[in-house]
Amino acid sequence: MRVRLMLSTAVLALSAVTAPVLAPPAGAAGTLTIAQAQDPNTWDPISTFLIAWGAVASNMFDGLVLRDEQLTLKPGLATSWEVLDEGMRLRFKLRQGVTFHNGEPFDAEAVRFTMTRLLGPEGAKGPQQSNYTSIGSVEVLDPYTVDIVLKRPDPVMISKLAGYGAMIVPPKYTAEKGSAEFGQHPVGTGPFKVTGYENKVSLTLEPSAGHWDGKPKLDKVVYRFIVEPNTQVAELQAGRVDVASNVPIALIPAITASPSLHLLSTTGPTVTVLRFNTANGPTRDERVRRAMVMAVDREAIVKQILQGHAKAVTSFQSTLSFGFDPAQKPVPFDPAGAKKLLAEAKLPPGTVVSLDFRSNDTTFREVAQAIAGYLTAAGLKAQVRPFEMNLFTNDIIPNGKTGEMFQMGWGGWTFDYDNTAYLMYHSGEHWNPYDKDAGLDAMLEGQRRIADRGEREKALQKIANFVADHALELPLYNVDTYYGVNRRVKGLVVPPDNRFRLIGTSVE
Amino acid sequence: MGRFLAQRFALAVFVVFVVTLLVAWAIRLSGDPAVMLAEGSSSFSAQDLRNIRAALGLDRPFWAQYAGFVAGMLTGDMGRSFMGGVPVAKMVAQALPLTLLLALLSLAVSLLISVPLGVQAAVHRGGWSDQAIRIVSLLGLSFPNFWLAIMLVLVFSIALGWLPPSGAEGFAGLVMPVATMAIILSATNVRLVRTAMLETLGAQYITVARSKGLSETVVLYKHALRNCAIPLITFIGLQFGGLIGGVVVVERVFNWPGMGSLAFDAVASRDYPVLQAVVTVLAAMIVLVNLLVDVLYGLVDPRVRGT
Repeated sequence: MRVRLMLSTAVLALSAVTAPVLAPPAGAAGTLTIAQAQDPNTWDPISTFLIAWGAVASNMFDGLVLRDEQLTLKPGLATSWEVLDEGMRLRFKLRQGVTFHNGEPFDAEAVRFTMTRLLGPEGAKGPQQSNYTSIGSVEVLDPYTVDIVLKRPDPVMISKLAGYGAMIVPPKYTAEKGSAEFGQHPVGTGPFKVTGYENKVSLTLEPSAGHWDGKPKLDKVVYRFIVEPNTQVAELQAGRVDVASNVPIALIPAITASPSLHLLSTTGPTVTVLRFNTANGPTRDERVRRAMVMAVDREAIVKQILQGHAKAVTSFQSTLSFGFDPAQKPVPFDPAGAKKLLAEAKLPPGTVVSLDFRSNDTTFREVAQAIAGYLTAAGLKAQVRPFEMNLFTNDIIPNGKTGEMFQMGWGGWTFDYDNTAYLMYHSGEHWNPYDKDAGLDAMLEGQRRIADRGEREKALQKIANFVADHALELPLYNVDTYYGVNRRVKGLVVPPDNRFRLIGTSVE
Repeated sequence: MGRFLAQRFALAVFVVFVVTLLVAWAIRLSGDPAVMLAEGSSSFSAQDLRNIRAALGLDRPFWAQYAGFVAGMLTGDMGRSFMGGVPVAKMVAQALPLTLLLALLSLAVSLLISVPLGVQAAVHRGGWSDQAIRIVSLLGLSFPNFWLAIMLVLVFSIALGWLPPSGAEGFAGLVMPVATMAIILSATNVRLVRTAMLETLGAQYITVARSKGLSETVVLYKHALRNCAIPLITFIGLQFGGLIGGVVVVERVFNWPGMGSLAFDAVASRDYPVLQAVVTVLAAMIVLVNLLVDVLYGLVDPRVRGT
C-alpha cells in the first residue's frame, strides 16, 4: 500500500513540476531577438575573424566607409574619399561631430590610432593584421583629413576598410583598457551600443543617441548564442527568438510550414569546389581532370541533394563576386565525352581516385557520394574519404597529403575574386599544395597592380577562365544562406556578407 | 581508516595528473589554434602565424607549456582563453555551478523515480507492474539522450508551449534537461534497485524481520533497502562519469551554458587553456566522487572500515 502511495506521490510531484510553468512572453515590443550560432568571445575588432563577429559587431562599430546590402560602398565615418598616386594613397575627409559611445570625440587621431594598433604588436597577436599589411602608414593632414598610404598595390583595400579589423575604436578608452577588457566592453561609434554581455549566453544592444546615419527603430536587440541549429529553430517556432541564423537545408520545411514564420535567403559568400591534386597521380594529366569535370552532373546535384537551395558555379566565386564572368559557360555534363577523354589519356579502367572531404559536413557527404557515383559510371573507381575538419585544414591540405580530389569551401566578405584566386592558385600559398604555374602567378600578381576597376575585373575574369581551361578544379556550387524570421519583424534585409545593420529594422 | 584515505587520495591525485597530461598532449595533435584563428583572413603568411603562436605562448616546448599549466592550476590561475583572453577561471566559475545543478538534480530525480519503482518491481516480481516497469525501462535504455531531448522540445515547447526550448532561465529552463537525463538514468537505476532488492529479499534476516511482525514498509525500506545501498552507491559513483558525458550532449541541445558547452566550444576552436581546465576540473570531480564512494562504504557498511 505504502509503496503505491509513494508511486502516486512521485507521479503527482512530476506533474506538479511540469504543469505550472507558463509559456514565455512573446517577443516584447521594440525588442528584436536574434539567435546567433557562435559567440566570438571578444568584440575587439583586431582579435577575431568570424562571420559571427561581423553579423553582430557591424551594429556597434563604423568603418571609414560602409557597404550596403547591395555591396555598394557608401560614406561611413568618412564623408568622401579620393584615390591618389595611382592607387597608392587614399585620402579621407572625415565626418565632424561624431562621438564614440563613451563620449570620446571621433577625429583623424582615432583613425591613426586604430590603424597603428591594427598594424602594430597588438594587431600581430590576432588574425586581422595580415589582411591590412599593404598599408604603409597613416598620415593625419588636419583633424578631419587623413591619408592611408599603401606600400604595395591593394585594390581591395577600400572594401576592407568597410569591415572587421578596420572598425574605428576610441583611442583613449582602448589604450586604457587593453584588448581583453575592450573585447568584453566594446565601444564604437555605431548605431547601437552594448548594454549587456554575458559570455556564451547573450549580448544586448540599445540605440546610441544621435547616430549620424539616423535613429534605429528598435529599442533593443538581444543576441542569444545558440549553437545547435535544431535548438535555434525550436526557439523560433516557440516565438522566443525572431531570427534564426544560418538555417540548414534540412530544417527549411519546419520554417515554411509555420504561418507565423518566413524564410529569407541570400547568395552565400562561400563557394564549394573539388580541387585536384595537379602534382601527382592520375589527376596530373589535364585530360583526366577535364574528363572528371565532364563526368559530373552538377545541375542534378544542386536539384536533388541541395533541393535547389544553391547555384551551380563556373569558377571558384559567386555571381556577386568582383571578377565573376557572366560569359563563362559551364562545362556541360557529358559522360560519353568523359569516357573518350579518359581513354585518350590511356588511364586504365578502374583506376582508383579518392575524394577527400570534411567529415562534419553532412550535406557534402551526400554530394561526395553522388560524385563518386558519376565518376564510377565514367569508368573510374572513386572512393570517398572523410577527414576530421581540423586535421583536414591544418595538415592534409596544406601539406599536400590529399587524394586526387579534395573539398574546398571558400569565399570571404570582400567579395573580390582576388581573395580566393590568389590563395588557391598562387604557388607557395598555405591552401595551395600542388599548383605551380609561373604564368598564373604573374597574372595573380599583375591584377593587384591595376588601379582601373574595369581593367582589373577583366584581368580577374581571365584568371577564372585560365583555371577552367586547365581544369585545376571541379567547380560545384554556391549554397544560399537562409534565415528563419518571425513575420512580426519588418524591414530586415539579409546582406550577402551576413553583416547586419539593423537601423531600418523594426518589430510589431 | 586514515591510511586507507591517504592511499586513495594519493591515487586520485595521480589519476587527475595523468588525465591532464593526456589531454594536453592529445589536443596539441589535433590542430593549430593559430590557423583556426586566422582562417578566413584573405592572406596570412607563415610569419603571421608565428606571431599569433608566440602571443598564445605556443612557441614554447610542450613541457614548458604543460608545466606552466600545472603551476597555474596549483595556484588557482587557469590562464586565459585563446578567444579574446577571457580568464578561464571566470568561465569555469560561471559554467560549473550550472553543470553541477543539472547533474545532481538529475541524479536526485532519477533516484526518486527509480527507488520506489525498483522496490515495487521486486516486491511484485513477475506481476504486471514488474513487467510494465521492465518494459518501460528497456524503452528508456534504448533512447539516445539527444533524441529524447528533441522529442521533449517538440512536445512541451512547440506543441504545448509550456516550457522554453533552451536556455538557463530559472526553474522552467531546468525541467526538460533534468527530465531527459533523469529518464535515461532511471532506466538503468530501476533495474539495479530491482535486482539488488530481489537478492536482499531472499535473505534470512528479511524472513526473520517479517516473522517478528514488522510492517512490510519497515521491512522493505529499513531492512531491505539499506542493504541495497552498497551496490547502489557503487553504481552511482561509476555512473557519475557517464552522467557528466551525458551532460555534454544535453547541454548542447538545450543550450545550457555549462561545462559541456564550454568543452564543446573549446574543442571546436582549439582553445587549449579552456579545454585543459574544463577536463581537469571534471576529472577531479569524477575522481572525487569515487573517493567519496569509498568513504561512504565505510559509513554504510561497518565491515569496510576495518580493511
